[in-house]
Amino acid sequence: MLKDKHLTVTVSPHIKTSLTTERMMWIVSAALIPAAGAGIYFFGPHAALVIAVCVGASIITELFCAVLMKKPATIKDGSAFLTGLLLALCLPPEFPLWMCALGSFFSIAVSKFAFGGLGHNIFNPALAGRAFLMGAFAKEMTTWKTLQDFPDGITAATPLNLLKEQGYDSLMKVFDSHSHLFKELFIGRVGGSIGETSAALLIIGGLILIFARVTTWHIPVSYILTVIIVSYFTGGLFDIPFHLFTGGLMLGAFFMATDPVTSPITPKGQIIFGIGCGLFTMLIRIRGGYPEGVCYAILLMNSVTPLIERFSKTRIFGVKR
Amino acid sequence: MKARVTFKGGIHPPENKGLCGELSIKDFPPPETAVLPLQQSLGSASEPVVKKGDKVKKGTLIARSKGYISSNLHSSVSGEVIDIRKSPHPLLGEANAIIIKSDNRDEPERDYSAEEASADSLSSGEILELIQNAGIVGLGGATFPAHVKLNPPADKPIKTFIINGAECEPYLTSDHSLMLECADRILKGAALIKKMLKAEKCLIAIEENKKDAIALFRQKIIQLKNAEGLQVFPLKVKYPQGAEKQLIYTLTGKEVPSGGLPMDVSVLVHNIGTVFAVYEAVFLRKPLFERIVTVSGKGIKNPANWRVRIGTTFKMLVNHSGLADKKIKKLIMGGPMMGLAQYTDEVPVVKATSGILVLTSDEAADFEHLACIRCGKCVSVCPMGLMPAEISKMVEKGRIDTAKSIGLMDCMECGSCNYICPSGTNLLQYIKLGKYEYLRSKNVKR
Amino acid sequence: MGQEETNNTGYFKELSKGFIRENPIFILCLGLCPTLAVSNLVENAFGMGIAFFFVLLCSNITISLVQKLIPDEVRIPCFIVIIAAFVTVASLLMQWLIPDVYARMSLYINLIVVNCIILGRAEAFASKNNVFRSALDAVGMGVGFTASLFIISAIREVTGFGTFLGFRLIPENIKPITIMILAPGAFFTIGFLMALFNLIRIKKGKVSK
Ligand code: SF4
Ligand code: SF4
Repeated sequence: MLKDKHLTVTVSPHIKTSLTTERMMWIVSAALIPAAGAGIYFFGPHAALVIAVCVGASIITELFCAVLMKKPATIKDGSAFLTGLLLALCLPPEFPLWMCALGSFFSIAVSKFAFGGLGHNIFNPALAGRAFLMGAFAKEMTTWKTLQDFPDGITAATPLNLLKEQGYDSLMKVFDSHSHLFKELFIGRVGGSIGETSAALLIIGGLILIFARVTTWHIPVSYILTVIIVSYFTGGLFDIPFHLFTGGLMLGAFFMATDPVTSPITPKGQIIFGIGCGLFTMLIRIRGGYPEGVCYAILLMNSVTPLIERFSKTRIFGVKR
Repeated sequence: MKARVTFKGGIHPPENKGLCGELSIKDFPPPETAVLPLQQSLGSASEPVVKKGDKVKKGTLIARSKGYISSNLHSSVSGEVIDIRKSPHPLLGEANAIIIKSDNRDEPERDYSAEEASADSLSSGEILELIQNAGIVGLGGATFPAHVKLNPPADKPIKTFIINGAECEPYLTSDHSLMLECADRILKGAALIKKMLKAEKCLIAIEENKKDAIALFRQKIIQLKNAEGLQVFPLKVKYPQGAEKQLIYTLTGKEVPSGGLPMDVSVLVHNIGTVFAVYEAVFLRKPLFERIVTVSGKGIKNPANWRVRIGTTFKMLVNHSGLADKKIKKLIMGGPMMGLAQYTDEVPVVKATSGILVLTSDEAADFEHLACIRCGKCVSVCPMGLMPAEISKMVEKGRIDTAKSIGLMDCMECGSCNYICPSGTNLLQYIKLGKYEYLRSKNVKR
Repeated sequence: MGQEETNNTGYFKELSKGFIRENPIFILCLGLCPTLAVSNLVENAFGMGIAFFFVLLCSNITISLVQKLIPDEVRIPCFIVIIAAFVTVASLLMQWLIPDVYARMSLYINLIVVNCIILGRAEAFASKNNVFRSALDAVGMGVGFTASLFIISAIREVTGFGTFLGFRLIPENIKPITIMILAPGAFFTIGFLMALFNLIRIKKGKVSK
């Protein structure tokens, strides 16, 4: 008899997708594992330590903040894990561990909880943490582990640094030929941050995200297309694969810019966001003082997200523009 | 304008339509006591024309429509009126109802099985009157009185008449089974309405997951003599494919303006069940006192489609179908997307009841109500092109006017946004609250 | 700030309101530009605090003395002239007494002329109250401002340079957090201290959440 049952009364709908926030976060984390693995493989055990410390510190900070703010602890939703992982992946492999912990603390406590916790932060926590570390420890943040045999006198170790500081010729001196350079870039056997170097694995991870419907194509595609177009018109054909596969572009386009909280919610807004990210990235890379621009480009666009949303409202069915 | 492949947005919830097994309609025995709420349609409740102690037969008029938007109500059993009192109502919580005790003879007011030959020669006015007398309302769930809807003002001629056989709600198969069993009669009803409206086209829209129904209707139309303008239109399987505005868009490419009605774009939509009821009212002179109800859900042992008398309580249907030995969580009238959760099984089947679902705790989701992570999924699935996250946020903050300006009142409460939201926020609850508050504040001002 | 600053509040309250209750930086959010600029070293912060204290006290007293003489329409220019006079005095004094601190922050000293705390106190308080109260108000606000600057600069200098008033506190081999002496560091520090002050006020039940 139904009478003895405890009937729940709620508003409709009564069913719900199985793709919860929690599951989304873990899928993103899983999609990053290959790239993280490649980082450890190429750069050695210290990279693994960096990842472990970042993740651990993030989770501890999250617990701490949750207790402090008397909110239910939300470790299970995986967002702290993901933030720590993302932060680690954009740090240099030899980065001092206590700085990793400090960066994670900043990511979670300042750029997430100070704004009200998950869903309310303005800036991507991982990138904000990276920017903080960049401001705080500029030297350590730009000390890379070298993987190639460099001719004497060349110190900069990431391809982008090389290009920026020593010019095209020394880049070619290290990598002999274009095809060799692109192959190394694609596989990830170049200097750089732990998780940024292997374009191939990042693309695979990104495709997983799109096919698992964790994110949509709008931001990555518009971001990458913008970079392709700008690099073609500023440099030429050679520049396209170079700019695509160096630095944090793939990581940024697939995993950072697509952070739901800090990107626009409308599809049109997401495309504008992606284009903006692409333009700023290229602007910083070509004209700016830093060799790499992904981090600041995305943070910049994060800050204008509410504005973009205002101008990219969806069209209501049955309402003429 | 041309037909489209589909509308924007929408979701693909698990269908669970197979639970009912093979689709046939079984007759449910008339209830011992019928509880007939006076409010069976949108608009005002009808006015009783019987009193305690009166003897009635099956099909006897027991309450008359009151006002323009209202409908007649007929007894669904033969017996005696024992009371008119407040009883549980599936939509309103509680409302006045006429209680009739059956004498178990099931004696009809007249013979409802023979087809009137004269139907073809009736004038529009006479047909409308028959429909009004039979108390027909939209059986898809909206329960708008059919005779009002079928009588558009002269300046809004109807070019296209659409029959909605999408049945996009998961679990429900009542329309599907009706289409399979009564295709001929539905087509007769369709032709009648088309003629009455002087419409150029009559499109029967059926979702592609009902291949057998599509094939059956196509075949029947070929066999029909005067089938010009009659056409079957297969729809992509997607929720909410059966929503009026989305259906019109898919079939004709026209957008019903915000706040407008289908007749503004010369279209009229009726549910398959309503068309069948019109057939019965006009050809058989049979008032609406029974309907097809899907009883399903994993909490039901033997899910099936029943032809049920209005006024049968949910309890009888559920007990007859048997409860599965699982953890029962919800009793729902309608589908899982838009249906209403019931607090008791004493509520009766009303004209709006397309299904009764008993959901187990595996099926009925727990919504965690986490913070919105601004993923934008609700925006991309909203078939009305709204930004549900924004609207509900505004309502939550009490800014009803802002919510209104970004489309609060355009929401059709399909629930797609709420279904897809990974954070399990209570989007729709806030939207409904906002609509309620808005209407209330407007009434106060007036 | 100046809800009902009538004459019946106690003298001590008048004095102490600038410490926490109406702390110019953390509660009223005034004078943030000099705060950002000079709070990276404790030494600078002190220099700024003293100059500010001096100007605020003198201008508050003067303005409350001449309040009856100033026509309402031109009161702001008048205030500014008075403040500017004392700023000039302060800057000349500093040039004479502590020339190297002055050399580092002469620009900000001169900018005290348009400092919103001083102008705000003149407008909201000194021009409506008697001399004694105005002086108390100036002392309270001056101490509040200087103390706040001191706290901010102490945090920033220790974390950003690893020193305090030039003495090394944190061993050389631990890298200082450079960003703390840059503008963002000032924002972080002020933000957190603001939160802390609000927390104190909420705990005391002065403001509702
Ligand atoms: S906002 Fe309304 S119309 Fe849009 S998906 Fe949600 S319930 Fe459906
Ligand atoms: S689907 Fe849910 S979490 Fe995503 S934007 Fe909409 S309300 Fe927010």
